[in-house]
Amino acid sequence: METVSLREINKYFGEKKNRIHVLTNVNFKAQKGELCLVLGPSGSGKSTFLTIAGGIQTPSSGEVLIDNVKLNSLREKQKEQLRLEKIGFVLQNYSLVPYLRVEEQFELAKRVKKEGNLNKADFTAVIKQLGIADLLTQYPRELSGGQRQRVAIARALYSNPDIIFADEPTAALDSQRVVEVGKLFKDLAHNHNKSVIIVTHDLRLKEYADRIYEIMDGNLKQV
Amino acid sequence: MFLAWKEMRYEKLRYTLIIAMIVLISYLIFILTSLAQGLARQNTDAIKSWDIQNVILNDNANTSMTQSIITKSQLNKVQIGKKTAIVTQVPVVVRGDGNSKVSAQFVGVNSKQFIMKNLKVTEGKKPIKANEVLADSSLKQAGYQIGDEIKLNSGQTNYLISGFVNNEKLNIAPVIYGANSVAKVLKNAGPTFAASAIVSQGSKIILSKDSGLKNYSVGEFIKKLPGYSAQLTTFIFMIGFLMIISLVVVAVFLYILTMQKLENYAVLRAQGVPVGVLVRATISQSLLIVISGLIVGTALTGLTASFIPSEVPMYFSIPLLSIVAIGLVVVALLGVIIPIRVVTRVDPVTVIGG
Repeated sequence: METVSLREINKYFGEKKNRIHVLTNVNFKAQKGELCLVLGPSGSGKSTFLTIAGGIQTPSSGEVLIDNVKLNSLREKQKEQLRLEKIGFVLQNYSLVPYLRVEEQFELAKRVKKEGNLNKADFTAVIKQLGIADLLTQYPRELSGGQRQRVAIARALYSNPDIIFADEPTAALDSQRVVEVGKLFKDLAHNHNKSVIIVTHDLRLKEYADRIYEIMDGNLKQV
Repeated sequence: MFLAWKEMRYEKLRYTLIIAMIVLISYLIFILTSLAQGLARQNTDAIKSWDIQNVILNDNANTSMTQSIITKSQLNKVQIGKKTAIVTQVPVVVRGDGNSKVSAQFVGVNSKQFIMKNLKVTEGKKPIKANEVLADSSLKQAGYQIGDEIKLNSGQTNYLISGFVNNEKLNIAPVIYGANSVAKVLKNAGPTFAASAIVSQGSKIILSKDSGLKNYSVGEFIKKLPGYSAQLTTFIFMIGFLMIISLVVVAVFLYILTMQKLENYAVLRAQGVPVGVLVRATISQSLLIVISGLIVGTALTGLTASFIPSEVPMYFSIPLLSIVAIGLVVVALLGVIIPIRVVTRVDPVTVIGG
């Protein structure tokens, strides 16, 4: 079943002579239980792709569907609700609220989305798998870059979304953690029936992907 | 509230400093309000205790009771009833053996009229003889006692303090009540002089056009007491400016703090956190800052009230101070308008880059 589908997506920035074509006729689909990797260097349009696929930014033309719902037909509040219920984001920077302890990052998620989050057993399993079980009382500033990234992943998973978008999730991780994160995302896709879409330039994640796309100068193609 | 409280707990020093500013502002507002209230009361306590509605003065007295002269013939043309009384006001200096001199206002009244009848004596008794006076209890603080003989101004006549009354002040000076005949003497008034004013508890007394007298409502009369309006307006301006300062403090600090949190807010927005949650956090933060400041400011004001010397004309009116506190809370809510505009415009796209 298709969870995310992008059809003939174009995105421009600027007007007339200053117009920049960031995404050109992009077609993309992700299935349930599948880990998709979108590989590309900086400035290739990865982030624009991610924001459009995640319903944060609207395309100049084309159609985005999440669970067969056309995002173009939704109002901003409805998109917000859809993101809250169905999508988890793992972002590269500023992912954690600096004044909340690790455990409070999850409490905030719980306060915003009261139902449908991970149960205690699953949550314990996730934080153990990510190696952050001992960090629950720490503030983000007390964590290393890798630990922060793992907490951000755990927080995205806490709301138990059907679709997970990750923006360079392994940027701050060493090779051993990359393996663990790769396995975790793969496990989420295969054993928990989630769609995982990772945009990255980290080729180490290739071996965990079910489907690989490459993006270059706004053109996306499946490898 | 969750986000607001957690952030304040995390950034203790930063928020303590902001709250400290609100503490100082609220404390200053409370003290100024109490001072304004105290001075206003000391200007008008006696008039308020008379519970009057109208004051008749000489047309040329420019609303000043001390300058007003009502002659016997003018008085005869005014119908004096149960709710009407004559008053003569004379500024005096009270002198007594062994006690310091006190500036006061001698108020001459007719003992059979309502002013003297309605006075509530807290100690001693009302004057019976012409040389007896009833004094405001603040004279006790200057060392005067019941039975003490006092002299007024440079005169050599002795007057006996027969009793004390509380909160009887006029023009920020204690009132000494005595016979109207004594007031005439103290005023060095001529034989035609009857009184400074006619006051009435009832409806407006109708005066003939050629009476040479003018009727004022008690409100008008109080407003024109020497220095009263200027004093009150000055305090109102100071309190108003302090309110504006607190508005600016709350708005500027919250704006800066919000700008520093935009990336975090953008991430939360990307994750689908409704803008309402962030708006509520901003409002809660503003309220927490101001309410915390008000609590400490109120405690400091209470402490000040218990230590302030009685000479300082302050009056701590809880209802009035509560209104001022509510005003500060309203100011806090106004202060979040700009930060809220910033929060509602957070674009999650800004944090997803690369």
